[in-house]
Amino acid sequence: MVAVKAHELRNKNKAELTKQLDDLKQELASLRVQKITGGARLQKIGATRKAVARVLTVINQTQREQLRLFYKSKKYTPLDLRTKKTRAIRRRLTKVEASKKTVKEQKKLAHFPQRKFAVKA
Amino acid sequence: MAANNKALTAKKAALKGTQGKAQRKVRTTTTFHLPKTLRLARVPKYSRKSIPHAPRMDQYRVIRQPLNTETAMKKLEDDNTLVFLVDVKANKRQIKDAVKKLYDVEAAKINTLIRPDGQKKAYVRLTADADALDVANKIGFI
Repeated sequence: MVAVKAHELRNKNKAELTKQLDDLKQELASLRVQKITGGARLQKIGATRKAVARVLTVINQTQREQLRLFYKSKKYTPLDLRTKKTRAIRRRLTKVEASKKTVKEQKKLAHFPQRKFAVKA
Repeated sequence: MAANNKALTAKKAALKGTQGKAQRKVRTTTTFHLPKTLRLARVPKYSRKSIPHAPRMDQYRVIRQPLNTETAMKKLEDDNTLVFLVDVKANKRQIKDAVKKLYDVEAAKINTLIRPDGQKKAYVRLTADADALDVANKIGFI
């Protein structure tokens, strides 16, 4: 059987991929049956399992990528498409929010900036 | 006209008072029950999970492999049953559906047990109109 390659899979559309997934799973089932009847094609079992994983990865990756594009212009995105980082980081003030200054403070900074002096040698 | 209205409102105020009178509800029992309020359905602004997951327990996951031990072969010939090793988390209903989907046969009844080595074994008795030997040949493990 030709080795399943991810970059070939990415050219296929969703219907073809789900069909290929089904075929691979059926092949895996038949290989397991052959194992107990003494067929001994053990390498193929491992290769098929990884092929199933590859197809699923490609399916999920392309789905999520498309969804991210779809939600790019929207205000609310699903929770698993948002940045994960850590809980504390997600609750911090954003850079813009943290840098905001009151009018009073802005005036102070404008009128009384940090002066630099030097002693002439 | 205006003077007449003014006189009428003054009369009403003198007789009935200026504040409105609210009626007290008549209570016929001593128990207070929770009043029925409006319950709205959810209208989420965004789905919490981006993609709903594909069914995790599909037929390929439920049935792992058939058994071809001597006792399993005996059950095949005598009792019209197939014996499978099955996922531990599968229940009898899932096994029945999986057998239907994979091999196109109806199960009359299913008995399961968990082997000492931790795997689940399922005895799938087929209906009288299906022949277990034929199905086993078709699967390929005779």
